[in-house]
Amino acid sequence: MEMRLRIFVAILTGALGAASAEEEAYRVTDLLTAESPTHSRSTEWKPGDGIALEVSGMEWIDDTLAVSIRKGEVWMIDNALAEDPADFKYRLFASGLHEPLGVTRDKDDILVSQRAEVTRLQDTNGDGVADAYLTECDGWNVSGNYHAYTYGPERDGQGNLWVTLNLGMGDLADNTIGWRGWGGTIGKNGEFVPKALGMRSPCGLGANREGDMFFSDQQGTWIPATPIYHLKPGVFYGNQESLKTLEDPRAPFQLSAIPERKQLYPKAVASSKEFVPPAVWLPYNKMGRSATDIELIDEEGKFGPFDGQLLVGEFTNAAINRVFLEKVEGEYQGACFPFLSGFPAAVVRLAFAPDGSLFAGMTNRGWSSLGNRSYGLSRIQYMGWNPFAVKEMKALPDGFELVFTKAVSFESLSKGSLSMTSYTYEYSSAYGGDEMNTKELIVKSVAISADGLRVKLGVEGLRAGYVHELRLDGAESVSGESLDNPDAYYTLNRIPKK
Amino acid sequence: MAVSMVLPTMLSAEPHVVGYERFHAGEPSFDGGAILYSELGCANCHGGSIVVTERKGPSLENISNRVDRDWVKAFLKDPDSMRSGSTMPSLVDELSGDEIDALLAYLASLETSAKYPTARHANAEGGSALFHEKGCVACHAPTPDFKPPHGGGDVVVSPLAVSLPDLQAKTHFKALAAFLISPSDFRPDGRMPHVPLEQQEAMDVAAHLLDFQSSNPRDDAKPIAPWPKTTKAEIAKGLELARQLKCAKCHELPGVDSHSIKRAGGAGGCLSANPVKSVPRYDLSFEQRESLKIFLASGGKGEELAHLTLAAMNCYACHERDGVGGPIPEANGYFIGEESLGDSGRLPPPLTGIGQKLQDDWLKGVLEGDVEKHVRPYLKTQMPGYPNQAEKLAKWLVEKDQGSALADWPTDEVNLDAGRKLLGTHGGVNCITCHHWGEKMSLGIPALDISSLDERLRPEWFHQYLLNPASYRPGTLMPPLWPGGQSTVPDVLGGDAEQQIAAIWGFIADGEGEPEGFPDFRPGQFELIPEDRPVIQRTFLNGSGTKAILVGFPGGVNLAFDGLKGRPAMVWRGRFFDAYDTWFVRKIEFQHPASDDVFPFEETESEIRFRGYYVDESGNPVFMLEHEGRTYEEAYSVTDGMLYRKVMWQEGEEPSITHPRDVEVDRVVADNLVNFVYSWR
Repeated sequence: MEMRLRIFVAILTGALGAASAEEEAYRVTDLLTAESPTHSRSTEWKPGDGIALEVSGMEWIDDTLAVSIRKGEVWMIDNALAEDPADFKYRLFASGLHEPLGVTRDKDDILVSQRAEVTRLQDTNGDGVADAYLTECDGWNVSGNYHAYTYGPERDGQGNLWVTLNLGMGDLADNTIGWRGWGGTIGKNGEFVPKALGMRSPCGLGANREGDMFFSDQQGTWIPATPIYHLKPGVFYGNQESLKTLEDPRAPFQLSAIPERKQLYPKAVASSKEFVPPAVWLPYNKMGRSATDIELIDEEGKFGPFDGQLLVGEFTNAAINRVFLEKVEGEYQGACFPFLSGFPAAVVRLAFAPDGSLFAGMTNRGWSSLGNRSYGLSRIQYMGWNPFAVKEMKALPDGFELVFTKAVSFESLSKGSLSMTSYTYEYSSAYGGDEMNTKELIVKSVAISADGLRVKLGVEGLRAGYVHELRLDGAESVSGESLDNPDAYYTLNRIPKK
Repeated sequence: MAVSMVLPTMLSAEPHVVGYERFHAGEPSFDGGAILYSELGCANCHGGSIVVTERKGPSLENISNRVDRDWVKAFLKDPDSMRSGSTMPSLVDELSGDEIDALLAYLASLETSAKYPTARHANAEGGSALFHEKGCVACHAPTPDFKPPHGGGDVVVSPLAVSLPDLQAKTHFKALAAFLISPSDFRPDGRMPHVPLEQQEAMDVAAHLLDFQSSNPRDDAKPIAPWPKTTKAEIAKGLELARQLKCAKCHELPGVDSHSIKRAGGAGGCLSANPVKSVPRYDLSFEQRESLKIFLASGGKGEELAHLTLAAMNCYACHERDGVGGPIPEANGYFIGEESLGDSGRLPPPLTGIGQKLQDDWLKGVLEGDVEKHVRPYLKTQMPGYPNQAEKLAKWLVEKDQGSALADWPTDEVNLDAGRKLLGTHGGVNCITCHHWGEKMSLGIPALDISSLDERLRPEWFHQYLLNPASYRPGTLMPPLWPGGQSTVPDVLGGDAEQQIAAIWGFIADGEGEPEGFPDFRPGQFELIPEDRPVIQRTFLNGSGTKAILVGFPGGVNLAFDGLKGRPAMVWRGRFFDAYDTWFVRKIEFQHPASDDVFPFEETESEIRFRGYYVDESGNPVFMLEHEGRTYEEAYSVTDGMLYRKVMWQEGEEPSITHPRDVEVDRVVADNLVNFVYSWR
């Protein structure tokens, strides 16, 4: 108890708000949070003074953390697993880049995205600083519009390196040519190989345990709420602003039909063979507003009970969410859950360290977040106490199965207010959209396994293509712990037949 | 540019009142009747409207210098045939041709010496852009020559669009421009409000509406035919007819008396299916008649709902209030603005609780059309003015929303330092990350200026809004900074939300100082100065493209390499480059060298592919290039103020090489190698 209390205090200094059970199970330590929150932009700051660590990309190389930052540099933080951040050694590895938004290791080199290319950084003379900046991949349109970002590269299980291209917006934007709104891979000759289109602001990439690639997109034009998609060739993700790129003879596929706007999402999806809905919707406000990086938990329990699941960074709410995926009829779908919140700035990048702890790279640049610092780097360590949480939410033909991390009290479930609603969105060119066709569902049966870990909910009126929002207010573990996050959101694209 | 006015398809000759059609046409109702009763001018004869702004007819003053006589004559006989959906009733069915001429003679006698503005030029295309962007198409149909940026597809004209007459047949250029500059001089009832237009802009819009093909108004402007001379007897006869027809009930006419008119009801009245010839004939639809009957059956007594006036004035064309209204789908795409602010960057704000939100004077000023009170510069659509209605509307909206007089909040004892801290980014809630502060741009997205919101908002509303922004505007980008009433900044004022919000208001109201966290940027502060080694920075550079690699060499000579075309693009002498925008500005634009002493390279036809660069021991760059499958390298360095360029290849001919203009070029050739020295003598 002594020990627990002490750590509890440490958490409070690191994160805002009251620590809860899930947060107690994870210790968040600030490693380098802007002391003066506009560090890089203060009057005193000069080029070369300190590091304004506006994190835009992260990758581990043994116990060195490679970090790209928005102003155009790659830093190597040597000894980054040291308990005391004062023992970190900062080394400027590359500079002069144009807004890098991702770093990936490739053998001894670092691949970094820039506005106009993916660059291979090599340290040929071994002095710890890159001296070759080689064009690894290019060939997309860069109009000079500020919003035309380039993300990646990110490696999938087959070794493909994926890059996603943001739509331009406002002055100088040109989304009609050069693969804006597309995701693709790096080809043999360094060409961008377009694979899938209809993205808006695909800021986060990450593969799951099976090696399949996923990406996050942003609520905005054509996108009613935050989506997480399975990234694969031949797919249209719904944003029509760059449809004209299909006129390029190199376009790998065409749409059999362009979905009509102003209809409900499930109907729009059904109207075009290539149109694929999000594997998971993160309902707006309820689950944050702006998803960023996707990172697989694959740490053999060193990061707690959620191995095999995905973590998703959250910009505006300065938080991290959690996603459980399953395959139904061969396609991914699943549920999202709030996880950790109260970070000092917008969580933009996530990377697991070799020791199984998670590093969160942050910057508020360009937008705003609930975190009031301009940038930061935090480490999240699992303290070994199993938190009480809904680990998984699986679809059944007539309801859902919940898997808890700890035995749940059946009594608390029957006494508590267990409720479910479902809703969808409108497919439209509007900037964001409301929940539509909301309906309360009747949970008509609750069955619990002998070990108390699994609960089957019999639910009447499941609707395919709808988000099913579950609230478990009042649910407790058998030892009396309550849920930090009594809400879960399952995107029921398909209702399993068995 | 070809413009053809698209008029909404009207299935019948019934009068067209948008607020009725949009919200109440489906089923006869009290509300529908109340709106029609006002907007058809019923109340002008019979009294008893519960819409707060009077509906009046247009001014007839000087009509003979503004409107074509044949047009007026045809309009009097059958208003709907000249303006589809006109709310002007037919009144002259019983008059002879001579009598109508007498009426026109009387109208001609209302001539004044008013002069209309003249224009040297008028740009119809620019006028079209203004017409479609300023908000005209919130009420009127768009024209097919202009496409909204996100509307896509063809122009779809809503049946709710307020029709325009054939303006070429009706009026002339100068009169139309004068009308657009100050509509209330001609239509005092505010149904056509003052869209903020400079005189030249009004000319341009008039040229668009009249479908001018040239920029010289004299080429296209057709004057109206002069009205014939009249006699005193004709005028006297016309005046008497105007009295009998009770024109002055709706139109302001000096010397024409008006007596109140009782509602007779029963067969043959205005409201019957077949009105007798002596009453105004409106050609009402069955549903319209039924709605009016429901309204009248209540004795015209019903709750004076804000909805009725907002519908009658068509405020709903732009604004939503309590979930009702807002742009119709056909017009929605024409509302444009700052995309990074989402819908709140392009759609006018909701009117929900507006009387609680804005201070009385500010609300009145906004309604008067004071452009100084336009606080959202990113909205292309501009709030129009209602000079004759503003005072009444403002007072009434405050009453409707029970906007209190300025309450005793916040207290005087606010902590100004805390307010300053909270607004800023040094441990505050980061308001200035998104919001402008006076002349200072926000650090991120360009949300509206908050430095003087104490002049326009009621403090109580501000307080409630900060606690839950989405309750006022669902989907707003403004995050809840006090979620559930809890502060996200526990170390300021003990984390007390009430005190914190009061401190923010207090600091803004105090008007002294600015929030913490604005960069004190001075030109040159982020200037890159090559001292020992070359400095390399990529950016968007004017003249060098979007993949420009800038190299600043010690010694005052600098190079920009165009990574898209694989060629050196420009060399300049003097200061290298200021990196502030590239490093920190979210909405970066094309950059410029820090010196004007620039020498662009000649363009090359060759398709050269840039493959990267490496730096040598001294930090000098060597660019790796590929042309038709052959790779070669170009190394650059600076010595004694001269730029050295070494081109090296494996085999074959010398690659295509261009040089900067106005620069001395020395050339030394060796095997598979050529050296150039660029100098300024």
